[in-house]
Amino acid sequence: MTRADVVVLVLALALLPLLYVKFWHHGAAGEQVRIRVDGKPWKVVSLAHDRRVTVPGALGDSVLEIKDGAVRFIASPCASKFCIHSGWLHDGGAFTACLPNRVSIEVIGARARYDAINF
Amino acid sequence: MELSVQPDRTDHRIAWLAALAITIHIAESALPNPLPGVKPGLANVVTIAVLCLYGWRMAAWVSLLRVLVGSLLLGTFLSPTFVLSLAGALASITTLGAASALSAHLLPGRGLGPAGYSLLAAMAHIAGQFYSAYWLFIPHAALFTLLPVLMTLAVILGLINGIITRTMLQRLSPSSPS
Amino acid sequence: MTSVRRIATAALVTGAFVLTLTACGPKPDPVHKEQILSMGTLVNITLWGVNDKLAQKAFSAANEDFNYMQTAYNPWKPGPMGRTNQLLALDAWFSANPSILPLIKRAKTLYHSSDGLFDPAIGRLIGLWGFHSDTLPKGPPPKQAAIERLLAEHPTMDDVEIKGIRMRATNAAVQVDTGGFAKGYAVDRVVDHLRRLGVHNAIVDAGGDLRAIGSRGGAPWRIGIRDPGGKGILAEVDVKGDQSVFTSGVYERFYTYHGKRYHHIIDPRTGYPARGTTSATVIGTDGTVADAAATALLIAGPSQWHHIAESMGVKYAMLVASDGTVYMNPAMAKRIHFQHKPAKVVVSKPL
Repeated sequence: MTRADVVVLVLALALLPLLYVKFWHHGAAGEQVRIRVDGKPWKVVSLAHDRRVTVPGALGDSVLEIKDGAVRFIASPCASKFCIHSGWLHDGGAFTACLPNRVSIEVIGARARYDAINF
Repeated sequence: MELSVQPDRTDHRIAWLAALAITIHIAESALPNPLPGVKPGLANVVTIAVLCLYGWRMAAWVSLLRVLVGSLLLGTFLSPTFVLSLAGALASITTLGAASALSAHLLPGRGLGPAGYSLLAAMAHIAGQFYSAYWLFIPHAALFTLLPVLMTLAVILGLINGIITRTMLQRLSPSSPS
Repeated sequence: MTSVRRIATAALVTGAFVLTLTACGPKPDPVHKEQILSMGTLVNITLWGVNDKLAQKAFSAANEDFNYMQTAYNPWKPGPMGRTNQLLALDAWFSANPSILPLIKRAKTLYHSSDGLFDPAIGRLIGLWGFHSDTLPKGPPPKQAAIERLLAEHPTMDDVEIKGIRMRATNAAVQVDTGGFAKGYAVDRVVDHLRRLGVHNAIVDAGGDLRAIGSRGGAPWRIGIRDPGGKGILAEVDVKGDQSVFTSGVYERFYTYHGKRYHHIIDPRTGYPARGTTSATVIGTDGTVADAAATALLIAGPSQWHHIAESMGVKYAMLVASDGTVYMNPAMAKRIHFQHKPAKVVVSKPL
C-alpha cells in the first residue's frame, strides 16, 4: 500500500460518517405545530417543550396543550367540541381544527408522515 | 491496396483479459446474493490489475467489454440491471482515468497503487449505479437512506479487492509496484 | 514536499468524490399547499410538481369553485338548491337550475344503488332533528309522534321526476338535503377543474374527505385515517392514480342531551340517527359515489354493509362498529396498514 493509497482510504473512511449524518434522519415524528387563524398562519410552536398555548379565534380563545411531543385542543368556545374530541396529534401531517372559532392546527416535521388525514 | 483489420497483440491481450473478467463476473453471479445490487465485484480485480500493468485505456476496454458481454451472456442486455451496471462502469472508468492521470502527473513512481484505485473504482461504481437508479427508476427521496450503507460496503469491498489485486500483482511480477 | 504532493493528489481525487456525493441529495419536492375556509369546513389543497404561477392559478380557481358551490348547494339558504327545494314543495313542473340538475340526477341514481339507504329526500326529517343550521342544536330531540308523521309521508328520491330540463316532486314532503354527498360532488368538480388547468398531481381534502390524483413525484400519496375514538391515527393507506377516500362518522355533527348522543346521519327507515356504527370509510375513484356510499354504509351497519357496498359498486370499504370491531373486505384489508391494531377485525367475503 503506497502512502497515496492510505490517504485515499482515510478520506473514504472520513466520508462515511458524513453520509450517515446527512441521509439518515427520519423526520416522521412531528417537531412543530403550525397554528392558523382564519386560514392564515398565526404561529409555529415547537413540540419539544410541554406548554399551553392560547389562540384567539373568532368566537373566543381556544387553548392548546403540548405534551410529550404531541398537541391537542383542551378548550374551545365551540358547541360541538369536535376539535377536542380529535385527541392528541403527533404524526407529521396530522391536522385538526375548531371550525366555529376558525382555528386550525397542523403538525409539521422535517418530513411529514402523511400527505393528508381522512376522518 | 488491401485493407484488412488484423488483430494485433494489444487486441489479443484485451480479449484475453476481458474473457477472464467476464468469466469471474459470471461465476460470481451464480453465487447467492444476500443484498440486492451489491456484489463482491471480483471481476474488478482484473480491471484494476490491467490498469496497473497496461494503463487506463486497456482497463477501460476490459471493463466495458465485461459489462457488455457479461450482460449478453447472462441475458440482462438492455435491461435496467444492464443500465445500472453500465452507469457504474462508466463512473468508475472515468474516475480511474482522472485518478491515474493525476497520479502519474503529480506523483510519478509513487502514486496510487492497486488498493487506492480499487477503493476509488468501487466507490465510483456504486455511486454511479445509485444515482442512475435514483434518476431513472426510483425517484424517491427515501432511496437515499440506502446510500450510506451502500457506500460503506463499497469501501470495504473496494479495499478487499484492492488487496487481492496487489497480492496477485506481486505474485505475477515481484518487481511490480506494490 | 513530495509527501505533500502525495497527499494532495489523493485528496484531490477523493475530494472531488466527496463533493459530488454530499452535494447531490434528493431532488427538492415541489409541493404547494393552501387552505381554504369553505363548504362549512377547512379545505386543504396540496399540489405537486407545478410552478408557482400555476399553483396560484389553481388555488384561485379552487377557491372560486368552492365558494360558488357552497352557496349553490346549500339546501336551506337562498341560492340554487334552496330555491329548488322551495319549488319541489309545490308539486308542479319547473325549469331546473343547470348547476342543480346534475346533482339531483346523481342523487336519484345513488338512491337506487344504495337500496334507499342513501336518501337525500328526507330533508324535512333532518330539519326536525335540528341539523339544518350551521350551529349545532342543543336538544331536546324531536318527539316520536313528529318523526312518525314525517316518516308516514315517505319522501324518496323516486318522487322527484325529471323530464329534459324540467323537474317536479310528486310528493310535497320531498326536501333534498345534499349533506350526504355535496362534499364529494364539489371535490369532483374542483379536481376536474384542476385537471383542465394542467394540474395532474394533487390532493383536494375537504375537511378530511379527499380525492387524490397522480402521485407525489412517483411515490404514492400517504393518507392517514383518524381513529374515531380520538387516539391519533388508526391506519394509513397509500393512494396513487385517482382515488377518493371518504369517511362518514357519527362524531362529525352531533349533540348530547341528557347523556344521550344524537348525530346527523338519519336512517330513512327509522327516522332516528343510525345506530350500531361509529364510522364508515370508502375508497373509490369518484368522490360523489364515495361520499354517498360512506353515508349509506354507516346506516347499513355491520349486518348489511357488505350487501350495500356490492350494489353500489364499492371496491374498498371499512366499517368501525360501535363496539370497536372493524369490518372490511379483503381488498381493503390488503391496502390498509393499522397503526393501532384494533381489538377485533372481521374480514368479509370479497366485494
